Amino acid sequence: MAQFILPDRNKTKEMRYQMGYTLADLASGNDRIVALDADLRSSTGLHIFQYYHPDKLITCGIAEQNMISMAAGLSQEGYIPFPCTFDAFCRRYMDQLYVTVAYSNLNLKILGAYVGLFTGKAGATHQSDKELGLLLRIPNMTIIEPGCNLEMQQALRCGMETEGLFYFRIVRCEVEHNELFDGYEFKLGKGVTAYDEGADIGMVCTGYMIKTAKIAAEKLKKKGIRVRVDHHPTLKPFDRELLFDLASKVPAIITLENHCTSGGLYSLAAEALAEKGVGVPVRAIGSDPEDFIHTGHVNDLLFRYKMTSENVVERAEEVLRETHARG
Amino acid sequence: MKEETRMDQSTMNKKGQKLDPMEALKFWTPFRKNTTRRYDILPFHEDYQQLIKNTEVLAYMIRSYSVWEMTCGALGHPGGSFSEAEFISVLYNYLLRFDPGDPKWPMRDVFYLSKCHACPAQYTVLALFGYFPLQKLKYYGAWDSGLESHPDWLVTPGIEISGGSLGQIPGVAVGRAMAIRRNGPDHNDRIVYALLGDGECNEGTVWEAFMAAGHYKLDNLIFVIDYNKVQAKGFVNLDMSIEPLADKLKAFNLDVFETQNGHDVSELIDLFTKIVVQRRGKPTAVILNTIKGKKVREAQLNPNWHTSAPRSIDAAGMWLEELWDQDGRRLGIPKEFPEALTRAIEIVPPYHDNPDKIEDRQA
Repeated sequence: MAQFILPDRNKTKEMRYQMGYTLADLASGNDRIVALDADLRSSTGLHIFQYYHPDKLITCGIAEQNMISMAAGLSQEGYIPFPCTFDAFCRRYMDQLYVTVAYSNLNLKILGAYVGLFTGKAGATHQSDKELGLLLRIPNMTIIEPGCNLEMQQALRCGMETEGLFYFRIVRCEVEHNELFDGYEFKLGKGVTAYDEGADIGMVCTGYMIKTAKIAAEKLKKKGIRVRVDHHPTLKPFDRELLFDLASKVPAIITLENHCTSGGLYSLAAEALAEKGVGVPVRAIGSDPEDFIHTGHVNDLLFRYKMTSENVVERAEEVLRETHARG
Repeated sequence: MKEETRMDQSTMNKKGQKLDPMEALKFWTPFRKNTTRRYDILPFHEDYQQLIKNTEVLAYMIRSYSVWEMTCGALGHPGGSFSEAEFISVLYNYLLRFDPGDPKWPMRDVFYLSKCHACPAQYTVLALFGYFPLQKLKYYGAWDSGLESHPDWLVTPGIEISGGSLGQIPGVAVGRAMAIRRNGPDHNDRIVYALLGDGECNEGTVWEAFMAAGHYKLDNLIFVIDYNKVQAKGFVNLDMSIEPLADKLKAFNLDVFETQNGHDVSELIDLFTKIVVQRRGKPTAVILNTIKGKKVREAQLNPNWHTSAPRSIDAAGMWLEELWDQDGRRLGIPKEFPEALTRAIEIVPPYHDNPDKIEDRQA
């Protein structure tokens, strides 16, 4: 077995590595867990799982479609398979996911690693910022995009304990252990208000972008604009009630997602508000649906797609100006 | 669905006695009294001839009821259903261990029909073995009938997974066989069978599955390839050849067997008896040398009958008569049977009406 360096569990903040440790912990307490790898384990964090449970890691070779099929077969005998590869490669196994897994309503827990923009300069082919467009429309599937390591740990445990198909969007970069409040507990299907200074403007975020939203909220506060930030770790089913509550209190909303601005969180919010007849303007922070994400440092990518907290502040001020001008 | 009222199709034979074509068990009952056990029957056993005849009757029943089912449903894939009929018969009548009263019996063998479109034959065999009433076959493809055009394991008992997109289930079979092996040796020595189409072997994922099966040396896994020479719109060797198939399978570390005649029940029984009692540390692949649309001249080796049910009761009646001519007669099935089955055909109308007069022709 190839020897990979294990990151220090107490030091690393990268979600992928903490995911590897979390999954290893879960498998220590549940002998039905197996993980499947398509030759990316030291990138996705599964090498940590393999270190602790060498007999529970099933290597599938570079064959993502077959990995999903094999996981389906394993689940039919009562195993809880966690197939894991780069999220971008869900484009390859989308049909396996749709037909074999979701249509059959199997008990799989899929880990999409390297989600969104941050892939360590891996470029357009390895970036996944369009996939929610389809994933969110697959029946029988729950989709979770945790925003911090604590939430990721709780969500994985919840996925293990809850029968059914789960899809986790796991980011590569460092995140805080807890972006929420002390004693926070992840609740499946529920959003959470992460920051509440007032109702001048609302932000709806998911995944990694909770960090950006909070920084932007602090900056806006200094300018006298009070922000409420709602974090939605569960994208499917989407917590519309929390969104409607926010929309009833603020004059405008900004969505923030580590995904393009069509088909993902922005679309979820816009669809819900349109159906309800709530007339608040909604602006999106996210990558460009008409562009392939090019190779670049995180700084350059965030700059290019206007996804920094500075951009959020600009966007907020702009939409508030327009709202006041109309009002 | 009001099956009982709609199924009032019992007919009279010449002597004025009722012949209800749904009472198939008059002409055929399962060879094994207990389908949770396998009995190895070798050619010198006294039951051998009986097993062969019984299985041939089953294959005849599968074809006949599939014609009835597909015509009633105005839907279906006769070509693939007929080419696999003998294998399906041997599988359910002789090899597979299952319990129709408890479809999820944990010690069962697993059969995946990877060429899901050829499910009319599987639906028929499931009905004949008592998973659900034969009458239900009439509603194949009808709204809310539980018999989908491609099987859905959530609604049809006896189906092992939902499918319809080719090339995916071989990998599922690999995962299943691997899981059964992980369950440990004391697990009834369960075997996983997957029936693939020859055209399906064009799909790259099939070869990913073969590669994984060979790599993990899953000797509780048997891939069966229904090599019937015809794919949906053409001939396999012309559209996208899979030859040399046996050499390719061997190169993927599978233990390969080829049949001379995939419609010869005795050959299949002998071959699979050998395969299931021996374990050679490798997954098995069996290439069935079959004919698409076998036993209906019009459909044989004809891509036009990959997807198409007979379009009229008369056309279906001719198929049923042809089947009886070749098999029913020699197996002692009365001529009244195909006639009554023909009369029992009723093309099932849509469940709802059509206020906008949308026209959509049968495939």
